[in-house]
Amino acid sequence: MARKQTRTTKRMLFTWLLLTGFIILLAPEKLTNRFQFAFARIFQWPLSMGRNVTLSARARYSIETNVVNRREYNQLQNHLANVIEQRDEAQKKLEKTAGLRIRYPLEGAKLVPVDVSTAFMSGSQCELIINRGGDDGLAEGQFVLGDNGIIGTICRVDRRSSQVKLITDPESKIAVKIEQSDAGMVMQGKGNNSAKIRLVSTKHKVKIGDIVRAVQKPGFLDSAMIVGKVSRCQKDDENPLLWDITVDPVFDLESLNIAAVIIMNPQE
Amino acid sequence: MRWLRFVLLLLIVTMLQADMVDIIAVPGFNIKPDLLLILLVFFATNYDMSEAIIASFIIGFAADIIVVGSSMGPRIISFGLFGSLLTQMHQVMAIRKMRYQSLAVLVTGILAGVFVSLLTFLKGQSTSANIYSELFGIPLYSAILGPFLFLPLGWWMRIKTKRSSRV
Repeated sequence: MARKQTRTTKRMLFTWLLLTGFIILLAPEKLTNRFQFAFARIFQWPLSMGRNVTLSARARYSIETNVVNRREYNQLQNHLANVIEQRDEAQKKLEKTAGLRIRYPLEGAKLVPVDVSTAFMSGSQCELIINRGGDDGLAEGQFVLGDNGIIGTICRVDRRSSQVKLITDPESKIAVKIEQSDAGMVMQGKGNNSAKIRLVSTKHKVKIGDIVRAVQKPGFLDSAMIVGKVSRCQKDDENPLLWDITVDPVFDLESLNIAAVIIMNPQE
Repeated sequence: MRWLRFVLLLLIVTMLQADMVDIIAVPGFNIKPDLLLILLVFFATNYDMSEAIIASFIIGFAADIIVVGSSMGPRIISFGLFGSLLTQMHQVMAIRKMRYQSLAVLVTGILAGVFVSLLTFLKGQSTSANIYSELFGIPLYSAILGPFLFLPLGWWMRIKTKRSSRV
């Protein structure tokens, strides 16, 4: 009798736990994501420490290829200084001719520095959890910068943490343009650290190495910014009148541990 | 079951799984061991049924909570289901030898992975682009690593993982 009762209890226990699992599965994602955010927030310190250990372990292998020598660095710094001076000169001339003050890109925008707590880089998911949220003025749709390029957009905001959908995530779609062409295009993530641009007519000239930029989006981005470079460009197998373009990000998303969120119209 | 030790162990393993296992991932394929799967098989083969069922569902919950942005539930259900089935099977056939523990990790990993993909698909979310490496690569890596971790796990949980000649 007692044995039968124990077996029934075990069966009941299993049934109740399975039922709980199904309730969680069918519950709205907004609700269940709170558990995930809470975990990322509570264990933010050990998680980011673990990530730093992983990154430093990786950096040990790639240090020789990722570092430029002092001479090359100085050349790049000098080039940057010359370009800034030329831009300022051109700006002054333009302002004199037009009689209007012209705003620099991102002028008045606020860049909120963020730490990456956790990164998910599987084939179906390329996302980051950052340590700033709604309390810091972050909102859904804002662009995230990493290594001076767009790395993704904010897709979910909690009070003190947020989720960033990277440009390589299969569900990420952003409006872009390619260096040579002014036509509007949509870039969709592909997973595996790359993205695709489809439905582009072969009339447009596209070549490997062309720079891909995210286009202006009112309230979120006021000037086009780099997102990647064309790494492969061939005619679409199904429709030879269209290009099948593969884009590689210009930054190493996996080794990113600091970023910045662009807030175009800060409240303060 | 020493539940306090179980909770501490689960917290540590969950955090390791969330960020640290990338260090030992197979480069290029993103294949890394699933420490929570190893933990699931360990508890399913070393504890009595009620404790193993509860542990399986809790481990499934931990596996779901670390994948921020994905829907919660598929891992709770599949880990709970296959953990419970494994512990039931263990009542009939003890899994003590390393090669059988390894096989248990592999089979449980593949079945749980297929079930997670199915539930994710039914929920209307996209499944992984490299699904084959996730379904076979991760369980295989975990199966190779798993039995070596059973000894320290047994020491931490204060149980004897005696290897008999019985299957």
